[in-house]
Amino acid sequence: MTTRAEFFSRISAEMAKTRGLFPARTAPRPADPRAVAGTIRRELAERWPAALERFRREFERVGGVFYRVAAFADVPQVVAGIAREREVRRLVAWDARELGGDLLPALEARGLDPVAMPPGEVSAEERARLRRVVADAELGLTGADLAIAETGTLVLRSGAGRPRSTSLLPPCHIAVFDRAALVESLGQAGVVLELWHREEPPGTGGAVNFITGPSRTADIELTLTRGVHGPKEVHAIFVEAPLHG
Amino acid sequence: MSETDLSVPFRRRAGEALRDAHLQEALTIATTKFIGLQREAFGEFPEGDRLRDLAREIKEATLQRLDRYLGELVDNVERLGGRVHYATTAEEARRVVLDIATRTGARMAVKSKSMATEEIHLNEALEAAGVTAVETDLGEYIIQLAHERPSHIIAPAIHKTKGQVADLFAKELGRRVAADPEVLTQIARGELREKFLRADLGITGANFAIADTGTVVLVTNEGNGRMVTSLPRVHVAVMGVEKVVPSMTDLMVFLQILAKSATGQKMSVYTTLVRGPRRAGELEGPEEFHLVLLDNGRIRQLAGTLREALYCLRCGACLNVCPVYRQIGGHAYGYTSPGPIGILLTAMLEGPASVKDLAHASSLCGACVDACPVRIDIPKMLVELRHEVAAKRLAPWTERVAYGLLARLLASPRLYRWAKPVARLLQRPFVRDGAIRRVPLFDEWTRTRDLPAVAARTFQERWRELVKEERSQ
Repeated sequence: MTTRAEFFSRISAEMAKTRGLFPARTAPRPADPRAVAGTIRRELAERWPAALERFRREFERVGGVFYRVAAFADVPQVVAGIAREREVRRLVAWDARELGGDLLPALEARGLDPVAMPPGEVSAEERARLRRVVADAELGLTGADLAIAETGTLVLRSGAGRPRSTSLLPPCHIAVFDRAALVESLGQAGVVLELWHREEPPGTGGAVNFITGPSRTADIELTLTRGVHGPKEVHAIFVEAPLHG
Repeated sequence: MSETDLSVPFRRRAGEALRDAHLQEALTIATTKFIGLQREAFGEFPEGDRLRDLAREIKEATLQRLDRYLGELVDNVERLGGRVHYATTAEEARRVVLDIATRTGARMAVKSKSMATEEIHLNEALEAAGVTAVETDLGEYIIQLAHERPSHIIAPAIHKTKGQVADLFAKELGRRVAADPEVLTQIARGELREKFLRADLGITGANFAIADTGTVVLVTNEGNGRMVTSLPRVHVAVMGVEKVVPSMTDLMVFLQILAKSATGQKMSVYTTLVRGPRRAGELEGPEEFHLVLLDNGRIRQLAGTLREALYCLRCGACLNVCPVYRQIGGHAYGYTSPGPIGILLTAMLEGPASVKDLAHASSLCGACVDACPVRIDIPKMLVELRHEVAAKRLAPWTERVAYGLLARLLASPRLYRWAKPVARLLQRPFVRDGAIRRVPLFDEWTRTRDLPAVAARTFQERWRELVKEERSQ
């Protein structure tokens, strides 16, 4: 088997034979992503309504369904409405701390059958059991760490209390977000990703997912079809009042 | 597994494709649609041109320090608890994956679409070792059931009708199936969902890998990339060494142009960034994460004629605009990667002898350069490949002699002047309506090409007369 040393010495030997095709540099990175992210945030303090409107337009363009509510307490009503229309009850949700509050009592009161994901490490048996629960659920309720206006994209970081599967296995995904998650462009999202990488909070998981609308394919005669592996539907609920603190 | 038969000459494979009426229709519809969607996406995106230049520059800058960025990637993957493997050849890459499968007792592998694993023919090797390999991209799943190979980089089954897909599914499931894309997609969802949940091994390629963070990036529309990296207990990512990018900031540049070039979407539905194995507190994610760095002919091109082909993002945009691909489709090319870029990638992996015919399967019109998100100069490299094919005496002797004579003739004004009356004499039996239509020995060339006959009075001769007249006045 080739070793690291052998592999890299071949690369170095080939590199030494050429200076490349033209002088080139990589993309300029923010030296202080925290400061740049702060600037973006301050600018959005005024511009956010336009960014939100753009997010709504792009999100709907890719097949998402957008809602706007005043407070977190209004979320269960929207979720219950979605469940009722589809005549489904089984819901899995991120842990209350990751979501911004405990919605389970309110959802149960509206006739849903919600299960919250554990906030920390659980045994392998429990993980296997929960996987079945998630696989059988009809609705998946998550937060969103970023909402990118330019493309209508939701960005979700995995971690303790925020499993990857909540937004993947149920046929209908509902994401709740507030103004703090809103950015205008993929470029701005890049600054936040640089920041996340440098200042990784405990409990951070191994995956970041950019989600732009429902799962789709056009592999049979280029006919656009939704929900091939991931959710057939994606709903985004914007909460006007801040979710965290 | 039935594949394109490479003992059949390219000309005949192309001829068969041209006579296949269904294929012709499917190709026209698909490529025309993709071109329209791509134009629309970039039309709404004024920064597109600047970002394409920037993306091209990032690719070149990364190759100029490839040892450093790959080293960083390896260090970060290992720091996160992943394992890195080095594969010089396709054979070695297959062995690495098979060893992992054997050691972990894997019975079933689910795969998301990956040109790298197509390139190393991983599925056949897994099957031979008793591991069921399931392609989960819908298009790939269809062609796997049909025992075929992809005909397009991003739409692998565009050559199949919904009726053919329904027949394939019916055979697989043992019941009748409606020829409706919606129904067929839902059937595939159900079939593959169980496999995602049961599989031991998840195998992916990598659209990008970020050196600074040790992240593997997968771009899909269906969500299979997410399934494959989240659910099985082992994840193996096989990537060509050229897929590394330095940072998140660089990644964002590519994400802004990749989907627009491939399908005309602003973003593909899922861009999945995964790092290492499952972390404490996570409900899912693999227990083991393996990254296989693949050379297979790439490294020697760092200083080779095909260096620029290492920029390729595998978006498929050059296929859609290529007048040759649009006529013959992917299978006629005969190798894993079709289309203009596919010829270069084939030469990279299999050596120039493999493309002695394919190197000519291009009109050098340059439409591919315009479509390419990182502006790869494909025609320039095709011409260089043609040189190489000629220099290594891989072309037929008639062609080599003819080109050799022509080169000598055109390089010497004196020889050229003398040759004209001789040519006029020699061409006489072959000229019809001012063109040479057919020449014995060169039948393969002249059957599809007309050569203009040498004029009774050439421009040079007329010019000399004009100059003479001018002087005498």
